[in-house]
Amino acid sequence: MSELDRRDFLKIVGLSAGAAATAGCDDPASKLIPYVIQPEEITPGIAVEYASTCQECSVGCGLHVKTREGRPIKLEGNPDHPINRGTLCARGQASIGRTYHPDRIEGPATRAGDGSLQSISWDDAKNKLAATLGSSARKTWILGGHVGPSLDSLLDEIVDATGIAGRLNYEPFGQQALIEASKQVFGVAAAPIFDVSGADLIIDFGNDFMDTGMSPPEHARQLSENRDVAKHKDGGARIVAVSARQNLTASNADIWVAAAPGSEGLLALALAKAVADKRGAGSVGAALAGANTKAAIAAAGIDQATFDKVAEKLASAKHAVALPPGIAASSSAGAGAAAAVLLLNVVVGAVGSALTYPSVDAKPTSSLKDVLALVDKMKAGAVKCLLIHDLNPVFSLPASVGFREALAKVDLVVSFAPLEDETTEVANLLLPNHTTMESWGDANPREGVRSIVQPTIRPLFDTQAMADTLLGVARIAGAGDSLPSGSWKSVLESNWSGSNWRQSLALGGSFTNPPKREVAVAASAANLRPSAPRLQGSGDFTVVAFPHSYFGDGRGAALPWNQEVPDPVTKISWTTWAEISMAKADEMGVVYGDVVKIDTGAGSIDVSVYPRGGVRDDVVAIPIGQGHTVGFYSSMAGDEQPQPGVARGANVADILPAALDEAGGQAFVSTRASVTKTGNFRRMALSQWTDNQRKRGLAPEVSLYDLSKGAAAAHFFASSAEASEEAHGETFGEEVAQEESAGHHFEGPPFEFDAANDSNPDQPYRWGMTIDNDKCTGCSACVTACYIENNVSIVGETQAIRHREMSWIRIERYLGDGEDDIHDGAERRPTPDGEVLGENEVRHLPMLCQHCGAAPCESVCPVIATYHTPEGINGMVYNRCVGTRYCGNNCTYKVRRFNYFDYGRKNWPGLLGLMLNPDVTVRGQGVMEKCSFCVQRIEAARQPAKDAGEVIADGAVVTACQQACPSGAITFGNVKDTSSEAVQKQKQGEDRAYRSLQILNTRPAVTYLAQVRREENEGAR
Amino acid sequence: MAPPPASAVADAMNPPTGRTGPPQDSQINIDIMAVTKGFHWPWLIALLLAVSGVIMAASALVWQTYEGLGVAGYQAPVFWGVYIITFVFWIGIGHAGTLISAILFLFRAKWRNAINRGAEAMTVFAVLTAALFPLIHIGRLWKFYFLLPYPNQRYLWVNFKSPLLWDVFAVNTYLTISLLFFIVGLVPDLAVARDRAVGWKKAVYTIASGGWQGTGKQWKAHNRAVLHLSGIATPLVLSVHSIVSWDFAMSIVPGWHATIFAPYFVAGAILGGFAMVIVVMVPVRRIFKLEAYITDYHFENMSRFILFTSLICGYAYGAEYFIAWYSGIEFEQTSFWLRAFGPYWFSTWCMIMFNCVFPQLLWIKKLRTNIPFLFVLCFFINLGMWFERYVIIITSLSREYIPAAWGLYIPSTVELMVLTGSFCWFSMFFLLFLKMFPIIAIAEVKELAIHAKEPGHGGAH
Repeated sequence: MSELDRRDFLKIVGLSAGAAATAGCDDPASKLIPYVIQPEEITPGIAVEYASTCQECSVGCGLHVKTREGRPIKLEGNPDHPINRGTLCARGQASIGRTYHPDRIEGPATRAGDGSLQSISWDDAKNKLAATLGSSARKTWILGGHVGPSLDSLLDEIVDATGIAGRLNYEPFGQQALIEASKQVFGVAAAPIFDVSGADLIIDFGNDFMDTGMSPPEHARQLSENRDVAKHKDGGARIVAVSARQNLTASNADIWVAAAPGSEGLLALALAKAVADKRGAGSVGAALAGANTKAAIAAAGIDQATFDKVAEKLASAKHAVALPPGIAASSSAGAGAAAAVLLLNVVVGAVGSALTYPSVDAKPTSSLKDVLALVDKMKAGAVKCLLIHDLNPVFSLPASVGFREALAKVDLVVSFAPLEDETTEVANLLLPNHTTMESWGDANPREGVRSIVQPTIRPLFDTQAMADTLLGVARIAGAGDSLPSGSWKSVLESNWSGSNWRQSLALGGSFTNPPKREVAVAASAANLRPSAPRLQGSGDFTVVAFPHSYFGDGRGAALPWNQEVPDPVTKISWTTWAEISMAKADEMGVVYGDVVKIDTGAGSIDVSVYPRGGVRDDVVAIPIGQGHTVGFYSSMAGDEQPQPGVARGANVADILPAALDEAGGQAFVSTRASVTKTGNFRRMALSQWTDNQRKRGLAPEVSLYDLSKGAAAAHFFASSAEASEEAHGETFGEEVAQEESAGHHFEGPPFEFDAANDSNPDQPYRWGMTIDNDKCTGCSACVTACYIENNVSIVGETQAIRHREMSWIRIERYLGDGEDDIHDGAERRPTPDGEVLGENEVRHLPMLCQHCGAAPCESVCPVIATYHTPEGINGMVYNRCVGTRYCGNNCTYKVRRFNYFDYGRKNWPGLLGLMLNPDVTVRGQGVMEKCSFCVQRIEAARQPAKDAGEVIADGAVVTACQQACPSGAITFGNVKDTSSEAVQKQKQGEDRAYRSLQILNTRPAVTYLAQVRREENEGAR
Repeated sequence: MAPPPASAVADAMNPPTGRTGPPQDSQINIDIMAVTKGFHWPWLIALLLAVSGVIMAASALVWQTYEGLGVAGYQAPVFWGVYIITFVFWIGIGHAGTLISAILFLFRAKWRNAINRGAEAMTVFAVLTAALFPLIHIGRLWKFYFLLPYPNQRYLWVNFKSPLLWDVFAVNTYLTISLLFFIVGLVPDLAVARDRAVGWKKAVYTIASGGWQGTGKQWKAHNRAVLHLSGIATPLVLSVHSIVSWDFAMSIVPGWHATIFAPYFVAGAILGGFAMVIVVMVPVRRIFKLEAYITDYHFENMSRFILFTSLICGYAYGAEYFIAWYSGIEFEQTSFWLRAFGPYWFSTWCMIMFNCVFPQLLWIKKLRTNIPFLFVLCFFINLGMWFERYVIIITSLSREYIPAAWGLYIPSTVELMVLTGSFCWFSMFFLLFLKMFPIIAIAEVKELAIHAKEPGHGGAH
């Protein structure tokens, strides 16, 4: 097959170039080998994109895999894909690293008696498994995560054909409770699909829909359009977030209700009752009988006024929608809570518009209950062979389940994981699967969205698609007759025979608009009696185990970007932390970084504490996903002082009981805990230790009222003048304030390009950016995208603790306008004491090189290593940089990064160097680096434009951060072209446009649009 | 400062042997050249310590060069640290030497003659030490030539707008002039050394003294050369540290961007420089028994300089705070508030106490002539001057415009080793110098002695 030959060739080219790049530490590459026969679709230097599907979580976003000379180097969203429409979250961006990961298992292997691995051939491996199947198929089980529909049915066929006892299709973050609730309320066995684009009020019952919810990129996009103040003068939807800790959604919400965990159902039903009392209950009257407002308020631990305010908002909203509890809010009463939320949706009239059901039922999946049953069988010795795929149960199952011990009783544990993890560590037979970038597959995240997974690189190692392995084993075991012939790819292709295969490959799948299912409230809804959750154990705190923004159930922890990019809420990276309230911290005498022992009945862990105002007194909140003992990045094995086998952070599963909700899924709000001081201190990597912007107006805010009155600009500038008046002292306040507000217009309104000061009038371009802070949710997708696009090094925890992270763009997080008292001094043990429970003052500010027109960094460089290009970009000549670092000192925005070590060579272990973007220089030791406005993308757009004799069209250059942003907060373009989108956005947002530190007259190319406050915040500072 | 009465000079120059009257020419030769001869245990121990310190620092540097600057304490946003602090410190130290040899020469302040050789040597060695630090600071030493405007075919040029480039020129000029001044001043004394040396040393001194015969013509030429070099060096006393100060003042960093920086730095440099002269000369005088030549009177005069410049420094510190408050700029206000009460309060209070408060004790004459006291005080002034640069550089950088990017810097072991090594490097040169060249300008002291003997040049001077 000629195609295979070409791919083989690509593989060799890729490997040799990669080997040269990574092994370059010792022996620099001296030859570039051109293609002997150039593949038709590849032009060296030009990226080729293939459509595929992200497999990091169950959302199923479409991908465009950007490949260069046969190597995937970057993932971007597929613009044609109906779910993510071209954007991609941080986790999705990072998932490209799996293919090149140092944890890759390089081929099939068996574990010898002494625990060491011995590689074997695929034939031997299959024969071994087939022999086991032949002798004890009835005692063989498959335990795996969710897979695509084609693989799912193939696995079922294989189970049937080989006589395997059973297969569990289990995700730790499953949707059983929601499906169960749908059954109860509507009689529909499917998960609802939420669309927030038309809502005018969104009430999030712990779903965290902007960060770890049901479909974050999709919802962020819908929300951004919904709340675009340029289009919707009323400010669009209001957001009410109910959560025990201030998660990312709550930090972007207009109202944050800090309700006790597990009280969501009671609260939702009480709210439904309150709304029904005002509007009429309609068909759900009977179902509301269980509502008890007083009990709900008491259980939630909120005050009546807050409840009334939310009820009032809900009653007066025309298009409210309520989002069901997510993982952090799942409890023993989880299905009941979800049902109550669905009922609330009925009452507010969201069903059919914001909440719809697919016309097909969800395929049944396995729950934790099923897994527990399997574990019991294992413990009883009734399982001889266990096949584990797409799941890391040794890590993610609660330790109290005893999975590891049960596994010891299984004769043959087979793992298909492509990367080493805690499960492969104890498996007897490793049959490594391809990674997503190397495999065929499909996904069906929802009805009407059939999405395809296609390989974009030849397998780097001796791996095999799991489906092919199992087909091979089944054939050896003599079960081939009842199975489809051919390879997994041909099976997949035949599954897609109904649609145009090649077109689907190009498009990324086949997307249709399915009919909506009409649903009505079922009679069983009347039985709804949401209850408070059952909590095991004792202690002052309820454990809230919440999904980390990037780790999912823990599988994301392997990826270095997920570790390095700070958590968007706390700004902590590389470790686990425990959030407790400031009051409790004071009581216990602990401050930031002090290690506390968290003890539940089920176990105990030691975690560094992060006291904050934004968490309830009765809660200790711990992120899920850290605490791995295996993995280069996920454990301490790849640390600066490597400690193989030592956990990075702590695994919250170690302290969780195996608690179930009504549908058998895992209840994460399940236990109480005692928190005690240990007296130890462990410093955490905290990228930002103060959230006080000291009234410097770095991230200002405009009220919707002022905006609607057209008075925002005046008010905005007046308030900055006010701030400066305070700063300037009484005597000179007025005078300086006038100067300053004039100063704001020094170059005309801030959105206008300053033509009078244009040093390059002949140039058609002045590149600039508009960032809408009102749209930014802080999700940090842009940060990860930038890391990968620009070969930004991962520095690791030890260096991150020392603020040596290399990020070119960061999300700064401030609380309100800040205090101008000059209290300081606790930097090593900081406390974000600006947070107040139930209030939300968070401002997210993406900060990157501002490409100043009068850049302070440029004038001080003695060797002109940083200079101004005629197109207005603040350029860096890495080869010219001697490393005086004066530019870094003089940069007022502190966006310059220094290569303290030889990161470029040393921090791309294994084959990770293969994913370096060849268009971007890998920086050497001792040079400065910073955001380049993705100059390589500008250059890529320039050539076609030049060939056509035109200027680069608006929109032809999309920076990596802009491309990734699910909210569309970032717009890049030529600000000399007043019709460009970047300028148009500035004009539309004229009343809230500002430039950072305008008073310094650095003339930045980045224009920010201030955040809009839609609701007055009582007690706001 | 009025010159001392002749009797005072005569008294002061009374050798401890009990001879009366000022030392004779030959006696001066013997006394001073005695330093270079013989064997002094303290000298050897000091030299061994210094050399081992240099070796330690060199190994730290090799490691830093191999590993990268990450082994130093730098962390965003503090990109300058101990190396730049120490650079500014040593450049400052040099200034007293130039002031003594050039400005006081022009002002005909005769008392300088006894200390100017030591001070000049100190200048040269201090600048030699300082000049290492920009290279150490950039980490990749081999890239240093990028900073020089050398012709090349790639049309690469340096940025004359950058204060760092001005620094390159300022420091190089300073080094050249100081070295020339030092060498020219040495020539007559080298001839003395030549006359008294035997063997290979004689050959070395013969070449070094350049055929000096002490003829009238040679003396005339020599004096003119010294005069001209003094004229050239005088503005350098002001300009070099002004330019160094512009590394900071020309930037936009709150706490750096101040017009007072040039005079403030020059005053600080002279304060630190005189303090260093005293710290160096006290043990030298004691060990080599030079009390007849370097007298309490010299120390008192230097104390007066210290008192004067310490007042200027105190004024500058005050002015900085006043302007920060008066400007109404919150960035400046915060920066200065945090200097005194933020995480680096310790260094700030060290600076204020050692540089401004303690030197006020010098208003008391008894203390001005109390050598042990002066030694201790000057030691602390040197510490204070180092902390002054620490405060300016570190506290300002750690608290700039973007609070989200605020961070702390703590010097690493490597940096402290190099810092220690820089003192050893300086001491090593100075100790070797002691044994090779006359520490006191013989000819000039003779001149002083002659003047003191002549009645016409007595008390009415």
